[in-house]
Amino acid sequence: MNESYYLSLLVFSPLLGIILLAFMSKDSEKSIKLLGFMATLPPAILALMAYVSRLMGKDLADFSERVRWIQFGNLPQMGEDFFTVYYELGIDGFSLLMIVLTAILSTLAAIASFHIKKEWKGYYMLFLLLEIGMLGVFTAQNLILFFVFFELTLIPMFFLIGKWGFFEKEKAAYSFLIYNGLGSAILLIVIMVLFARTGTTNIEALKILVNTANSDLITPLSDSVKYGLLIALLVAFGIKLPIFPLHSWMLRVHVEAPPSIVMLHSGILLKIGAYGLIRFGMGIFPEQFKELAVVLAVLGVINLLYGAFLAFIQKDFKMVLAYSSISHMGIVLIGLGALNQAGIQGAIFQVVSHGLISALLFFLVGVFYERTHTTDISKLGGMAKGMPIASGFLLAGAMASLGLPGMSGFVSEFMAFLGLFEEMPWLAAVGTLGIIMTAVYLLRAVLAITYGRADREFAGITDLRSYEWAPVLVLVGLIVLIGVYPAVLSEPLKSVLLGLGG
Amino acid sequence: MENAWLIPLFPLLSFLVLLIAGRRLREASAYAGILLTLASLAMSVYMLAERFTKPTFKSESVWLTIGDLKLTAGFEVNQLNALMLVIVSLVSFLVHIYSRGYMHGDERFPVFYAYLGLFTFAMLGLVLSPNLLQTYIFWELVGLGSFLLIGFYFYKESAKHAAQKAFIMTRIGDVGLLIGMILLFWQTGSFEYDEIFASVKEGAVSETMITLTAILIFIGAVGKSGQFPLHTWLPDAMEGPTPVSALIHAATMVAAGVYLVAATFPLFAASETALMTVSVIGAFTAIFAASIGIVQKDIKRVLAYSTVSQLGYMMLALGSAGYVAGVFHLMTHAFFKALLFLAAGSVIHAVHTQDIEKMGGLWKKLRFTAPLFLIGTLAISGVPLFSGFFSKDEILVAAWVHGNKALFWLAVTAAFFTAFYMFRLFFMVFAGEARTHMKNVHESPGSMIFPMAVLGVLAIASGYINTPWFGTFLGDWLVEGNSALGHGHVEGPAWIMIVATLVSLSGILLAYLIYVKRSISRDWLISRAPLTYNVLRNKYYIDEFYGMTFVYGAKAVSLFLRFIETFLVEGLVKTVTVFVQTLGKTGSKIQSGQVQTYGAIAFVGLAVLMVIFALTGGYL
Amino acid sequence: MSNVPVSAFLALALILFCIGLYGALSKRNTVIVLISIELMLNAVNINLVTFSKYGPAPSINGQIFALFAIAIAAAEAAIGLAILIALYNNRKTVNIDEMDQLKH
Repeated sequence: MNESYYLSLLVFSPLLGIILLAFMSKDSEKSIKLLGFMATLPPAILALMAYVSRLMGKDLADFSERVRWIQFGNLPQMGEDFFTVYYELGIDGFSLLMIVLTAILSTLAAIASFHIKKEWKGYYMLFLLLEIGMLGVFTAQNLILFFVFFELTLIPMFFLIGKWGFFEKEKAAYSFLIYNGLGSAILLIVIMVLFARTGTTNIEALKILVNTANSDLITPLSDSVKYGLLIALLVAFGIKLPIFPLHSWMLRVHVEAPPSIVMLHSGILLKIGAYGLIRFGMGIFPEQFKELAVVLAVLGVINLLYGAFLAFIQKDFKMVLAYSSISHMGIVLIGLGALNQAGIQGAIFQVVSHGLISALLFFLVGVFYERTHTTDISKLGGMAKGMPIASGFLLAGAMASLGLPGMSGFVSEFMAFLGLFEEMPWLAAVGTLGIIMTAVYLLRAVLAITYGRADREFAGITDLRSYEWAPVLVLVGLIVLIGVYPAVLSEPLKSVLLGLGG
Repeated sequence: MENAWLIPLFPLLSFLVLLIAGRRLREASAYAGILLTLASLAMSVYMLAERFTKPTFKSESVWLTIGDLKLTAGFEVNQLNALMLVIVSLVSFLVHIYSRGYMHGDERFPVFYAYLGLFTFAMLGLVLSPNLLQTYIFWELVGLGSFLLIGFYFYKESAKHAAQKAFIMTRIGDVGLLIGMILLFWQTGSFEYDEIFASVKEGAVSETMITLTAILIFIGAVGKSGQFPLHTWLPDAMEGPTPVSALIHAATMVAAGVYLVAATFPLFAASETALMTVSVIGAFTAIFAASIGIVQKDIKRVLAYSTVSQLGYMMLALGSAGYVAGVFHLMTHAFFKALLFLAAGSVIHAVHTQDIEKMGGLWKKLRFTAPLFLIGTLAISGVPLFSGFFSKDEILVAAWVHGNKALFWLAVTAAFFTAFYMFRLFFMVFAGEARTHMKNVHESPGSMIFPMAVLGVLAIASGYINTPWFGTFLGDWLVEGNSALGHGHVEGPAWIMIVATLVSLSGILLAYLIYVKRSISRDWLISRAPLTYNVLRNKYYIDEFYGMTFVYGAKAVSLFLRFIETFLVEGLVKTVTVFVQTLGKTGSKIQSGQVQTYGAIAFVGLAVLMVIFALTGGYL
Repeated sequence: MSNVPVSAFLALALILFCIGLYGALSKRNTVIVLISIELMLNAVNINLVTFSKYGPAPSINGQIFALFAIAIAAAEAAIGLAILIALYNNRKTVNIDEMDQLKH
């Protein structure tokens, strides 16, 4: 196979679904749902094929592609590449994992979207557009292309929240757009400064240009400028991740967006923050990043504990999970703050693992909501009686989330703490309090839902339906697979780690 | 021994099969579970036999690579592991058989067997682990099994709380273990037991670090083994079905804490402070739990406190450098306590209550259960010729020889209490006349009697493999080839054995006088020292204390953070929005609709810009 | 012709522009405002033609621009007056102070 267009095909394959959907009648519910689901399959298959060929020993560099795209200014004397933006896609181990995660979660979220009650056509078109954006973010090889795809995720997301969400959906959608718009604006400033100063936005080229002394820049980057840029990046991606105190938008989105969208939001979109921090923050400004590592670790511990304690007193299960996401993103920060191989690998593992786990939990939230029409913990209870299988999986999801060994959450948590204990044992010791609190709040919430006396009639409430089995089984399977055999993730990451920190 | 890794896989298979096909198999699930644990048992016995003649076997491969670090997973069969394998698979096998009768008719029968399989898998995996990381993994998994089985009757609020409490309390301990293990890793560069011990021996790790990590690991053991101050979950865990209490909360999982200390014993042995901590906590727990056990009215809770107390004994033994004594008592305790729980289950099965005030006079009605219960009671009380006598004696000798006389006398007092409250339990359940009308009291089916009979034999016989009279076979074998574990047998003064016998006999006598002869009033403690009685009855108010401090503390922190969230974070957001809105409103006021004003302002603005441009020469 | 200095053309344009600006900003009658705008446009046209003839790079471009501007000015005047008449029909006034419908 000729790989020169493989990634483009992968990224833009959902477009086919959008085009086909455009020709469908908007009332044929069944076929729209089916088509929407089918349209997520090509990227999933292509992503898995890429993953398998990586395991077979293929060099990921073979997938790169590069076409001239936009030329700014006309300065041939400065060289061909100068102020030229290429359309360039490429992957390494980390982005490969993210693409596989994105593709799989999109397919599963498409299944979860069968619960959607209205205007399926628009929903699935936006959904597929969102998928293109997410896939593009992880394959973009230069900052401008990254930014384009990054923005491409915002707009469909805005409409998906604002139109198909719960009661306060508009507010949540605006909140989402404003916060993320601010983040993008800051990101754009950083990109433009780098572009103006170096004449390129290619990530690999920037890594070299920024970090070589006396490199051939238009205006040299002083250390303080680099710090400024890194801090700006931290804020931009910190909003996305989110880092305390920039998190309040994300709570609203978690609560108000439809569960199938939250699966993607919590599973992938939050991870773009982590991805950006690792790829750009750590990649382009390694020295400055080292100086800021302590701050990151402290922020991580704050996130971890803050989220955990607040999750402890929430009454709405979706809120518990929202704060739990904040708490778990703290572990990513802890790993990044440790800035050694164990920590970084832990952070990346956590990114993938939390993506799977939160997707599972939110899928089940959707399942329960669809049957009981509430997510209020005090109104649920004893659900294990009427829905033993769904409850069992909910418990499994909670166990994975609280870091039970044998599941993916443990491996990532363990590595992040292993890393931090080497660098800052005291801070890490404080952070372990979060491990206890995670168990406390998750068990409180999940047991309140599944255990105890049931105050309701279960007549007419069915357990998992046939199409609901697929996402649950796939997610639990992957979570356990990573937990038992973490090499599935660590193998592709080998070369990445050597390039970073370490 | 190369195939030892198969042992835990049988129960795992049982778990998976029953999870998938349990609904179809219904009560036939029991056979799947029983057969697969039997396979484990057979292999375990084979391993033990093989271990007598062959050296320790260890096999590992890489599990996780982190850059240059390689973390391994594998299995090891040494003396301790081989012994534990047999104990665990045997008790598990017997409990599997027993449950067929006990759980008969329960609609979640296959689920119960599936959970049993999961737990057995984790426990066997735990004892096969050759390194701390793997130990930790299975350590948590047994916690999961315990959690699921405690909460088996999920529709009961009390079961829900008990399960939650068990998980969280043990997790507090687990975090200690996790920290200790990671610190050790960065000190020694490995999670492997033998490599850690080697670098401890070489002196590569500082004295304080050894003490710190040993105590942290001990915290993990404290959580799992229900030692003070993390003991409160264990009595509550009795909400689970009784076979579970026998398997998990008597014989195997709670003993995992003792096992962990035993497995990392060379680390503890390198630090006097760590040993001291272990023995003090152990001795204190032994007497503390025994004193609570005196006044409890629930048959399973009495047994639960006795478990806590006996585990304290084992800790005391290990802390007094009595490695063999600790492991020996672990083994005998596993048998007689499992027996006691199964017999208690049989009683509960017969009378459908757990309140001993409502029982009485069951000796005649339960022809098999009653004598078996008596065997267990005699064994735990340390009456001569029963297994508990020999192992308890070993512990007392170790405590005396190690030098801390106060701890020794504490242990003796605890032995007195144990004999007293165990016979109080026995007399109240079986002696005299029934205190309430009980209809339809019947002996349990054969599937429940058989496991008890096997355990009854072991509760007597297992003591004879390590006695001062017939040779200390077990002890010598356990420490063979590893000097760090101490001696196979510790010689102590002969009077200790006599004192122990006297103490336990007097405890039994006291119980007899109060509960059978009634020559001493039962209400003696209540009338004379109501305060003490209330304190004991309420378990020293420890639960209440934790409720007031930690639970409310966590709530308070959460509420405080919510305050920050609503006022600081949201407030900040509000301020920004209000600011932007005000700006917009003010701005829109300027928009008067008067085109000429706009033009004038634009013109003035242009003029100002040009003046600035002219003054600065174009550079800002 | 050629002895008229460039500055004279520019000065004429400037004066014309200022008159136009003053009229556009201060007159009440909308018709006069429109006329003033025409004045400003013509000032610009003079500038364009001047520079196309005497500028640093003389070419025909400036005059073409001027032609464009005249054409657009004509169109603008037509539309402006049409709007004005429509407005007058509705509100019976040509006073610009009363035309503030575009405010917030």
